[in-house]
Amino acid sequence: MKTITMDVLKDAANRLLFDMSDEQYKTLYEEFQILTKQMETIGKIEGLENYAPMTFPFDCSTTFLREDVEEKPLPREDALKNAGNKQDNQIKLPKVVL
Amino acid sequence: MNYLDQPLKEIHEALVAKKVTPLELTEEALKRAKENKDNAFELIDEEGAKAFAKTLTEPEKDNPLWGIPYFAKDNFSTKGLETTASSNILVGYVPVYDATVIAKLKEKKAIMLGKTTLDELAMGGTGTTGHKGKTFNPYDPKHEHMIGGSSCGSAAAVASSIVPFALGSDTGDSVRKPASYAGLVGMKPTWGRISRYGLFPFAPSLDHVGYFTRDVYAASVVLDALAGRDPHDSTSSDKPVEKYEEDLAKPIKGMKIAVLKEIVDSITDKELRAHFDKSVEALRKEGAVVDFVSFDRQLLESCYATYIVISCAEATSNDANLDGIKFGPYRGGKTYQEVMYNARTAGFSELIKRRFVIGSYCLMRENQEELFLRAQRNRAKIVEKVNEILKDYDFIYVPAAPGPAPLFTKASDKLSDEYLIADNHLCLGNFAGLPSITLPLCYENGLPIGINFMGRAFEEKKLFQVASAYERLSGLAEASVLDPKEALL
Repeated sequence: MKTITMDVLKDAANRLLFDMSDEQYKTLYEEFQILTKQMETIGKIEGLENYAPMTFPFDCSTTFLREDVEEKPLPREDALKNAGNKQDNQIKLPKVVL
Repeated sequence: MNYLDQPLKEIHEALVAKKVTPLELTEEALKRAKENKDNAFELIDEEGAKAFAKTLTEPEKDNPLWGIPYFAKDNFSTKGLETTASSNILVGYVPVYDATVIAKLKEKKAIMLGKTTLDELAMGGTGTTGHKGKTFNPYDPKHEHMIGGSSCGSAAAVASSIVPFALGSDTGDSVRKPASYAGLVGMKPTWGRISRYGLFPFAPSLDHVGYFTRDVYAASVVLDALAGRDPHDSTSSDKPVEKYEEDLAKPIKGMKIAVLKEIVDSITDKELRAHFDKSVEALRKEGAVVDFVSFDRQLLESCYATYIVISCAEATSNDANLDGIKFGPYRGGKTYQEVMYNARTAGFSELIKRRFVIGSYCLMRENQEELFLRAQRNRAKIVEKVNEILKDYDFIYVPAAPGPAPLFTKASDKLSDEYLIADNHLCLGNFAGLPSITLPLCYENGLPIGINFMGRAFEEKKLFQVASAYERLSGLAEASVLDPKEALL
């Protein structure tokens, strides 16, 4: 398991595209000292290799073909109304290819 | 006494008899909401609520929610009404559609008065981390004790008799724990029983729609309205919806109830323990078979960490769409990554960031097997144990919390059994997706404490039956801050 250091925590935050203050990283580092001990409670459970990782509480597969229903698409004004940066009826972002 | 202080059933009868109109009820509820000092509301839609109430002129005798005002937690999409999930990253966001539960309640002609506060993005259990600050417990006018979370505002609104019911969401215990701290009925049905379309996801394998009421009858008729398959939510069940209030008056003789021994043993509050033991005896007197059953101490101790790992890991992925581009405040940047970075750095509070980092750490390649996948395997083992008990018993019965609402200043020993087991066991219902209901048991220094029943998947009707029998024993139906009642147990 990766050792917890301030750099590892900063890396984890940056992967998720945000940053925190040095003070906040320090608090988080301290929180991890407790959290690691709490996580050890899972480490103590024996025989987990016999269990498949559970991703849903129970099977709920739905296989059906729905009827085609005619619907109106979201009006352009609605699709754009929550975006903070717009131009010519499109959401505007900095250039990806410079 | 105003009609809002009455049980939902009586409000309905008064509406049908035209003793009160939906508009009058709405106006009184809005007045109470505006006067409330518990910081329970993100938005009060006075205009919209009154306009809708005015259209309701012909009472519907067979629709107990006709003309009934309610509030929704601010993580349900509401068309045309700002929805922030109490986070700065969503300030100004106005959804273009209604969540299915909002649409269903509109169809039932229940009147939505607005949106309630929550722990930011529903990630938290204290009611302190929303962008508008702490939400207070109406049972504590000094504002020293929390109400719990994350559905803090909805709990406060119902406990203060502002509305007879309010929507919440429950990923670990976010309805059922605040219900315990606010003397309410807090219901989370089976995973898939209620559509989650339009509910902002936190950890979808654990997320449930839930709600607060002040009595079991109200809880059963709200489920009548909300349950059912929704083509917009592929995880919603197509099992037939029942009339959940049908068996409320039936006796519980012969029903088998398992009390989880380790949970009760980890409670240090002697007063609570005495009340709980008394309730066990009362249930036995009604003819129920109540046994103290051992779960597995180590497995219970591991529930909290299992919950944290799974929920934080799922949240990092689900909340990746909060980017300040499609919605939420745009904060600029030279690249699109920088745009997201700026929006997320400014938009998320410290607690949310810490939770995301925990999730990100658990998902790192080097940690995934040992942390994330191990937690998921442990969840499978925990669920196997829960279902094993429910093969022999109809319900699991436990105190919902280790005591009354804690002080804001209280620091818990986060490695103690009281914290790891007694304070955090309600996530069993989320791991297994089982229906689970909290009801009030007693008061300590004026602050309520609840108990919890959990039943088998899709056996909500039976769960309401035992809850209703329990409610008759406790004498606490319809208790609220404005109309307190004395506990009989």
